[in-house]
Amino acid sequence: MENTLIQGLKERIANAVMVNPSVGIILPGNNYKDLTQAIFQHMNETQNKTYIYVAIAKPFHIVKKEMDGIVDSSAFFFIDCVSRAAGIHMTDPQCFFLDSPSHLEQLILEIVNIIKDQDKKSDSVVILDAISSLVLYNDELLVTEFFTHLINNMNLYHAHTISLCLEEEMTDQMNKMLYLINDKIIKVKESFI
Amino acid sequence: MPEYEKEIVKVSEGKRKNSFMNNDTPFCITGIEPLDQKLGGGIPQGNSVLVVGSSGSGKTTFCMQYLTNGAKQGERGVFFTITEPLFKLTKNMENFKFYDKKLIEDGMVNIIDLRIISDRLGLNVEKYSVEDASALLEVLKDIADELQVKRLVIDSITALCYRLESDEMIRDFIFKLGSSLASMGCTTLLTSEIPPVMVGDLKYSKYGIEEFIADGIIYLSDIDRKGDLIRTMQVVKMRGTSHSRSKVAMNISSDRGIEIITLLKSRG
Repeated sequence: MENTLIQGLKERIANAVMVNPSVGIILPGNNYKDLTQAIFQHMNETQNKTYIYVAIAKPFHIVKKEMDGIVDSSAFFFIDCVSRAAGIHMTDPQCFFLDSPSHLEQLILEIVNIIKDQDKKSDSVVILDAISSLVLYNDELLVTEFFTHLINNMNLYHAHTISLCLEEEMTDQMNKMLYLINDKIIKVKESFI
Repeated sequence: MPEYEKEIVKVSEGKRKNSFMNNDTPFCITGIEPLDQKLGGGIPQGNSVLVVGSSGSGKTTFCMQYLTNGAKQGERGVFFTITEPLFKLTKNMENFKFYDKKLIEDGMVNIIDLRIISDRLGLNVEKYSVEDASALLEVLKDIADELQVKRLVIDSITALCYRLESDEMIRDFIFKLGSSLASMGCTTLLTSEIPPVMVGDLKYSKYGIEEFIADGIIYLSDIDRKGDLIRTMQVVKMRGTSHSRSKVAMNISSDRGIEIITLLKSRG
C-alpha cells in the first residue's frame, strides 16, 4: 500500500508544478527520503516531460539506484556535481559529471545545453537535489547569484525547476533566496506526518 | 520563434553592419555566439586581435574554433604555428567536435609550421636576424595572399619574438607585422603567452608592445574559487565596437569547444 505521506507530497508537488515555473521545497532531513520518492513517482506519472536531475546531495549512481522500481529513468538526463569532487571516477552516457560543485557557471551551461538540444514540444523540468547542499562547497551569496541566473535562464527557455532544500542546511540567506526567487514554496513539516 | 532565438539568428547571419563605427565595416563572426553578441556582431573585419593567456588557458583552441567556424561559412583561413608541431596540434584538435578534417583537406583551413618554412628559407630556426624576420614576414604575406585567406592566426607572437635577438628588433618586427596585417585586410588573431598573473600585476604580452599593434585584446585567464580554477574570458579592447568589458566564465568541452556564460561574482 502506498505511503500516505508520499502520496500527499506527490499531490502537492503535482499541483504546485502545474501552475508555478519554479517550486522550492523546504523539508526536514527526516523526510528527505519520502520527498525524493514522491518526486520519483511524480516523474513517473509525467514521462512526457524532459527531466534533468541535478545530483548535489548524493552521487548519480545512488540516485539512479533509488529510482529503480519507482520510475524508468532511462530517458532522464543527470548532472552529477559531487562524484568527481569525492574522487569517484565513473562515466555514464546518461550523466554529465561536473569536476566540482563550485563550477556553478558550467552547471548552468550544461543544463541550458540539454534544454536547447531537446525537442521544444516537450517541457523541461530541472530538479535540484538539493540546492542547499551547494552551500557546503560555495559561499551562500554565490549560491544565491547562481540560483538567480539559473531561474532567469529557465524562464527564457520556459523550463520548470523543482529545488529541494534541507531545513538543516538552511541559512537566513538561503531562506530569503528561496522565497524571493521561487514562484511557490512548499514547506514540509514533521507535524505533517 | 521566441525573441531570444530571433536575436541569435540575427547575429549568426553575419549581415549586421557595424552600427558603432557608423560605416559599412562588416563583422567577422567568431561562431562563439555569446561572444559575437557581446561584440555587437563579431570582430570588425580586418582587425588584429591579441588573444592573451597563460599556458592551458585555451588560446589555441579559441583560434582553431574561430578558423573552423569561418571555414564553415566559406571563409578560408590559415593557422601559422611556431609553438607546436603540426601532428600534435591536429591530434589535439581531433578531440573537438567543431574540428573537421575535411576542411583541411579541402584547403579551407590551412595549418603551416613556421619552423618548417624558416628551415626551407635557410633561416636559423632558433634565432632570427633582421633580414630573417623581414623574409619571414614577406612569406607570411605571400601565403595569405596566395591562399586568399579571410582569417589568419599566428600562434604565437611571443614564440616568434623570442627568436629575435634584441628588444629593438622585437619592436621593429612587431610594428612591421602590424602594417603587414593591416594591408592584408584579413582578420587576424595573434596569441600572446603570459605567465599566470598575480592580482594587480596584469600584463597582456611578454614584451609589452604587442598590444599596441592590436585592434583588440581578448584576455583568457582563471579565477580561483576555493581551490578550483574557473576559466574566464574578457574582451579588454576591440576597436570599432561598443563591447562589454565584463569578465565572463568560459568552458571548453569536446562537444562544444569554447562556450561562455556570465561569471558569478559574489564573494562571501
